[in-house]
Amino acid sequence: MAAKVPVGCEPVVGSLTPSKKKEYRVTNRLQEGKRPLYAVVFNFIDSRYFNVFATVGGNRVTVYQCLEGGVIAVLQSYIDEDKDESFYTVSWACNLDGSPFLVAGGINGVLRVIDSGSEKLHQSFVGHGDSINEVRTQPLKPSLVVSASKDESVRLWNVHTGICIMIFAGAGGHRNEVLSVDFHPSDIHRIASCGMDNTVKIWSTKEFWSYVEQSFTWMDLPSKFPTKYVQFPSVDNEILLWEPKMKENSPGEGTVDILQKYPVPECDIWFIKFSCDFHYKTAAIGNREGKIFVWELLTSPPTLIARLSHVQSKLPIRQTAMSFDGSTILSCCEDGTIWRWDVVATNSATS
Amino acid sequence: MYRINQLKRQIQKDRILSVREKHEENKRKLENHVSELLLLATSRSDSMKNPGTGKMLSVRISNPLCKVGGFLPGSGDRDYANGEEVVSSTTARLPLAENIPPYTTWIFLDKNQRMAEDQSVVGRRRIYYDQHGSSEALICSDSEEDIAEPEEEKRHFSEGEDKILWMASQEFGLNEEVLDILTHYVGGTTSEILEHCNVLRQKHQDTSGKSLKDSGDSGFGGRIFLDKSLTAALDSFDNLFCRRCLVFDCRLHGCSQILIDAVEKQTYSSDSEDDGKPCGDQCYLKVKGEANQTKCSTVDPVEESEKHISEVGGSSMVIKRTRDTDEHTDSKMQHGVSESIKTTFEKSDLVLDDQQDSSCKRRKLSLPTAVSVAAEDGPEGNGISIISNDYVSHSQEPDQSGYNHDISLHKTGDKVRNDTEDSKKETVNHASYSKNLPDWKPLEKELYSKGIEIFGRNSCLIARNLLPGLKTCMEVSSYMDNGAAALRGGSTSFFSEDNGKDGMDYMEPDISTKSRFLRRRGRTRKLKYSSKSSGHPSIWRRMADGKNQSCVQYNPCGCQPMCGKNCPCLQNGTCCEKYCGCSKSCKNRFRGCHCAKSQCRSRQCPCFAAGRECDPDVCRNCWVSCGDGSLGEPPRQGEGQCGNMRLLLRQQQRILLGKSDVAGWGAFLKNPVYKNDYLGEYTGELISHREADKRGKIYDRANSSFLFDLNDQYVLDAYRKGDKLKFANHSSNPNCYAKVMLVAGDHRVGIFAKERIEASEELFYDYRYGPDQAPIWARKPEGTKSDDSPAPQGRPKKHQ
Repeated sequence: MAAKVPVGCEPVVGSLTPSKKKEYRVTNRLQEGKRPLYAVVFNFIDSRYFNVFATVGGNRVTVYQCLEGGVIAVLQSYIDEDKDESFYTVSWACNLDGSPFLVAGGINGVLRVIDSGSEKLHQSFVGHGDSINEVRTQPLKPSLVVSASKDESVRLWNVHTGICIMIFAGAGGHRNEVLSVDFHPSDIHRIASCGMDNTVKIWSTKEFWSYVEQSFTWMDLPSKFPTKYVQFPSVDNEILLWEPKMKENSPGEGTVDILQKYPVPECDIWFIKFSCDFHYKTAAIGNREGKIFVWELLTSPPTLIARLSHVQSKLPIRQTAMSFDGSTILSCCEDGTIWRWDVVATNSATS
Repeated sequence: MYRINQLKRQIQKDRILSVREKHEENKRKLENHVSELLLLATSRSDSMKNPGTGKMLSVRISNPLCKVGGFLPGSGDRDYANGEEVVSSTTARLPLAENIPPYTTWIFLDKNQRMAEDQSVVGRRRIYYDQHGSSEALICSDSEEDIAEPEEEKRHFSEGEDKILWMASQEFGLNEEVLDILTHYVGGTTSEILEHCNVLRQKHQDTSGKSLKDSGDSGFGGRIFLDKSLTAALDSFDNLFCRRCLVFDCRLHGCSQILIDAVEKQTYSSDSEDDGKPCGDQCYLKVKGEANQTKCSTVDPVEESEKHISEVGGSSMVIKRTRDTDEHTDSKMQHGVSESIKTTFEKSDLVLDDQQDSSCKRRKLSLPTAVSVAAEDGPEGNGISIISNDYVSHSQEPDQSGYNHDISLHKTGDKVRNDTEDSKKETVNHASYSKNLPDWKPLEKELYSKGIEIFGRNSCLIARNLLPGLKTCMEVSSYMDNGAAALRGGSTSFFSEDNGKDGMDYMEPDISTKSRFLRRRGRTRKLKYSSKSSGHPSIWRRMADGKNQSCVQYNPCGCQPMCGKNCPCLQNGTCCEKYCGCSKSCKNRFRGCHCAKSQCRSRQCPCFAAGRECDPDVCRNCWVSCGDGSLGEPPRQGEGQCGNMRLLLRQQQRILLGKSDVAGWGAFLKNPVYKNDYLGEYTGELISHREADKRGKIYDRANSSFLFDLNDQYVLDAYRKGDKLKFANHSSNPNCYAKVMLVAGDHRVGIFAKERIEASEELFYDYRYGPDQAPIWARKPEGTKSDDSPAPQGRPKKHQ
């Protein structure tokens, strides 16, 4: 493991005893094909669709809606004609008119932009040299998406115009597969990415923002300030709360301070990702054994809200999704099932 | 001990508090952000209602494809309540989108680059996932060498540790016992802790002293460079400017190169411009006229003659043969050969650039009286100029004074003192004259002496090019006449040792051109000789048919004036190049070719035979014309044009990147070429062999490699940075070949046509895999690999 942490810089480690602030109960379970589901995500972009979520698995993208009483409605389903496509990730976006878009990417390295408002393929973005591991949308400008790829680059796209605005790679870039990427929730210029080269890099697009505004030209972006590494989330049985990652100014470029650790047992597979609710108040992460850990983020020391488990849920949970207010947690599993957990007893009110 | 424990606990408590504080702050910030986002999300839906298009999702919400009921509360354990597949219908199909062959993002390079240090993979932990295993488990650090070497990592002490150390060292001192305990609590070795304690103490003192300093420091800074020495001012230039590529921040040769000054300086013929026309209002020529008219009577004949000489001779720097030599120097000081030299005068502060103001002032008070010293040449004989400047006061503080004259000067100075009485009158004149000189800052002085080096004694050029805005031509000229000699004597160090030689360098131009002429004749002769037999044939041959030996990296040597046995070039077995410090007549120099009509395309050309490109600076008949022929200049490949400078001139073909007929990507040719035509350069990062070994292991996992052995020191890696030619595939029956060429001292890889290639054909070359190195698809059924060279290896291959 990493070297001894110096005195005075120790992270605050959360306890694994659930605080029982909230309890969740399984309210639905869907089987969607036999192929593993890689991602599930709620729409936080458009308040009309806060209860709509999308899943990807295999060559299929599906849109659902969570209804009262644990009912889940299937709204849309898209199938890639390439049977070998395997989507790894999906994200909600929208164009300037406000039409909801789905952006999905996977093994083929082609980003598929689906206009779910008109149920048509809007565009395909070809350019990544290898599979796409993550797609994320800029919440302030939901026409901008970033994608992280195995080709060691991160790309910024404009789904409205279909332009690849920037490529984050090269000298100072990742030296191995990029696993995940996300925007800073308020600083529109900042992007964080993490990769198999053991680094988290924080990129600034400020200098080149004119390109975004024009979105007509695309270019290489050499601007970056790589932060010192430690580890990327979830290999270490922990979600590490990174000071810079969680919307806080880092004490100085190039240094990282691990503030808090949220231990998650049996979570040593690289593709497991955590999810937050809209307010970033709680986070949920699945593990290899089908359990879900719900952490309260905004407390210190960290408190575990609940540990969700079910007898039939034994397979690795690749991703979870929390609804707008955190009252519903969805998890997608290796065997192609979707689990819905709803909060039952609320001791403390949310939002 | 107890206190440390206590402190430690305290620090940890503080830490938790600070984390909590940050968290709270974070929370508040976050609330703002989120509310903003929420606003956006809600506004979105409103604006949506107006356009009216793209409502399908909303429509679906009211009319879903199907609904799946939830579990009843409390019955969550039922078996497979909704076990069937839910998706029966498909709303839309995504038409096939053609994807592109896999690649790793790379950066185009038209020139090799040395690896930046932070790009090294040596000593870094890496994570892979096992593609073959059933699970997608991760494999970390596959070998022992991945573990970072301990000495590379310097221990950093956190703030908390600082506190503990400080407290401990203050209260208990740093005896062994305390150190032991500290290592236990803080970690690290005792020496590290000791070292750090010292740092801390230093810091502590600094902070207390800082406030005082701050007030003093402010208000400086304006003309800061003028107060520094030239070397300090040129520091960034020396460090960052690449003298081989003539660019700053050279990515190929790196920063902080060893400075090597070519011994042979190009002499500037000052006569050409110094044709008697004044260069401006402040030109020395004007002053001279004036001086001649007005001062003739008062100024002593020395000065007049000086001027005369400087006018005629231009670059004779210090040697001023004076008419009144005989008056000043006694016969006892003269030898047959020796020349007595007129010295110049100087205001004290000019000479003593290192002196503090106070002492300067004192000196100013003591009127510089004297000074003509006749110097004697000593045993060396043929000698030259020794200049001394001197005052009466020198004997008072001989050590402190900035002028490091020879001791003999002091002796002579004493003698001179007698003589000075005779010449008092003129010294007064001089003194008054030199008082007109404005202050010369050390930087200006150094610039001036550089100017002398570059332009000779041409004040117009020096003032215009090196001291614009600082000094006028007139000032430079008068400084040259009066002060320069003193400067030379005074600012010593590099002059004092070999005054004689320097003097030679600044001699009249006609002498040096003569010597150049002689040298050139000598060179050609040697060339003829060496191209046949001598010189360094062993090197040549090895490089010429050097398929098997890898070439040796060239680093310029700084031998002056001639390479001896310790010359690094000689020891490495490389030829000296034009970047070396040694003289052109160095025996180890590669002397280029003098091919007349062969266009240097065959082994008859010594350059070609040695695997080098011709260099217009070195070869005799290889020349460069600019343009591509469109302006009527001779065509590039025409009669007599050297055909062996194609990498240097980047006369490459247009390469296209496309899907290969064989595997993955391929490189294609846009226009047809003939056999042996140059197609382009294989560029990449220059990495060490150790780095290459490490990267090779990583690339093996990805099953793609772009490594190319360049020479004994470097391997080219085109994985991340390179040229489109990196995508050319391997073939055992290729239409191209790669060749390492030495171009202006650097090894570069050129790709050449092995046969005539038609337009839009795909390019292949033999990667020359070592036995068993080749991937299976690239192996031939029978082992006909004749070349055992480990040279180029690696290839792009489809992932997975």
